[in-house]
Amino acid sequence: MDFLTTYIVLAEIYVLLGLSTNLLVGIVGIFSVSQAAVFGVGAYLTAFLLMHTALPFPVAVLLAAAFCVGLNILVTLPSLRVSGDYFVVTSFGIQLLATAVFTNWTGGTGGANGLPGVPAPLILGHEFTEPTEFIALTTIGMALGCLCFWLMMRAPFGALLRAIREDELAVAALGKSVLGAKVSAAALAGAFAGSAGGLYATFLSFVDPSSFDLDASIFLLTMVVVGGARTLAGSVLGPFVLLALPQILALIDIPTSIAAAARQLIYGLLLIVFMLFRPQGLLGEKL
Amino acid sequence: MLWLNLLINGLVWGCALGMVAVSFSLIFATTRFFHVAHAAVYGLGGYVSWSALKHGLPEWAALLVGIVVCGLAGAAIQKLLYERLDRRGATHLVILIASLGLSAVMQNGIAAIYTSNVLQYGLPWGNRTTIIGGALLTNTQMLTVVFGILSYLGAMWFAHRTVLGKRMRAVASNPFLAEITRLQPRQVHIAVMAIGSALVCIPGVLVPLDLGLQPFGGVPILLTATIAVIAGGVGSISGAFVLALVIAVLQNLSLLVMPGEWSIGITFGIFVIFMLFRPRGLFTG
Repeated sequence: MDFLTTYIVLAEIYVLLGLSTNLLVGIVGIFSVSQAAVFGVGAYLTAFLLMHTALPFPVAVLLAAAFCVGLNILVTLPSLRVSGDYFVVTSFGIQLLATAVFTNWTGGTGGANGLPGVPAPLILGHEFTEPTEFIALTTIGMALGCLCFWLMMRAPFGALLRAIREDELAVAALGKSVLGAKVSAAALAGAFAGSAGGLYATFLSFVDPSSFDLDASIFLLTMVVVGGARTLAGSVLGPFVLLALPQILALIDIPTSIAAAARQLIYGLLLIVFMLFRPQGLLGEKL
Repeated sequence: MLWLNLLINGLVWGCALGMVAVSFSLIFATTRFFHVAHAAVYGLGGYVSWSALKHGLPEWAALLVGIVVCGLAGAAIQKLLYERLDRRGATHLVILIASLGLSAVMQNGIAAIYTSNVLQYGLPWGNRTTIIGGALLTNTQMLTVVFGILSYLGAMWFAHRTVLGKRMRAVASNPFLAEITRLQPRQVHIAVMAIGSALVCIPGVLVPLDLGLQPFGGVPILLTATIAVIAGGVGSISGAFVLALVIAVLQNLSLLVMPGEWSIGITFGIFVIFMLFRPRGLFTG
């Protein structure tokens, strides 16, 4: 069952992205529509390191994740200065800028054609080429991500982040550092997105701009909303449900020319329907 | 003389962008939430007019059909989606996500019906040129300038001289006071959404006259217009229009030093500078 394994591997990678988006949007309340951009940087950077240097796979992914930590802090920083709706504009801008870089910087990213031939992960002399082998890596990645998220939510730090969402001024008045908390949350979200990018690039052995555009960011948001914002269970459930959707759509006879549009349309519809009738998603808390 | 051509192109493009900015400014200043789906309404106008034209209507009638459909769509979006959410006490985040969803539904709906290929209006008169003061202008460009200035003046007249416009500004400046003095903010919101959506249809048709129709073409344009609205100062129609002209001219002049794919970077740079040094915009106290 290669097909089922591929689905699980991809869903597990998207769980990491779901955690990243959920942390920013759901828990801290920073409305980011540029998580796909950070994901993309992680993917491209891992691909580049593995193709052009002799670094082993774990080091490459760690480097990419570390770079994404810095990047995500940088793109989230404006949210300290501009509030709410203004930050959305910033976030949209970052996403469009990232797509422009991925598509036009032919030297580094291969442009619209993407980068083919990313080598498979090589750990302790074993090469993870088949989905049935790769699943071990993504499962470990997902488990680590979930553990981090779970520990953070139980810790006082989790409570602090939730308090910032409810009333930033009150938190500041209590003498807590809003800046520090937001930067730490952005760093963690960046690490999730970056390592997801590394896994994604090596699993597909190919990266191209279309996986990291605005639609991809909206897809991440849909995942979090449908699964349920603000909870670990929601972030895990969302990707598994939404990635199964195209398979179900494949059973209905839609012309291939409109299949992509139809899929994206359904994601949009899900966003509206959930916001109208069930803002807490399947397993989340009320937004 | 390259820079003169770029300057003129910038001013023309600025007029188109200015119309989007003014329409978005009316909506954003009054309802106070980020109506992302405005980008999709912009796209809707172009495609509806294209269909009307292909069904044999004359150009002016096709534009009028587009304007009416957009106006109705705007009112419907406010009444059926935003107002419902608002009545349930939904947070801005919830409304924003719903708006993003609506935008995806409308744009992909258009892509599914008309395919995502570029469609042309195929009106030969649009590309005919005239020389005015040493510069070469197409008919489409002249129409854009005329409509741009008319839209700006119309919006100013509407906001400052009509009863509805005054109600709109009252709701924008203090929703609570407007509610208790029976200015009926909810009705004002619907009216403003209808007017803003009808207005955005004009650039939605004029811009594709040159560049062709694309289902997702509205997103970068709306983003640029939003930056003009914020940098100009939310609620200031003049601020939105002037900043749209400035951004468009800078985008075009930047072509002298860097390739066009990076113009989004210029726009975004302007926004970051404003956010750092004057977050409330130029045209506010």
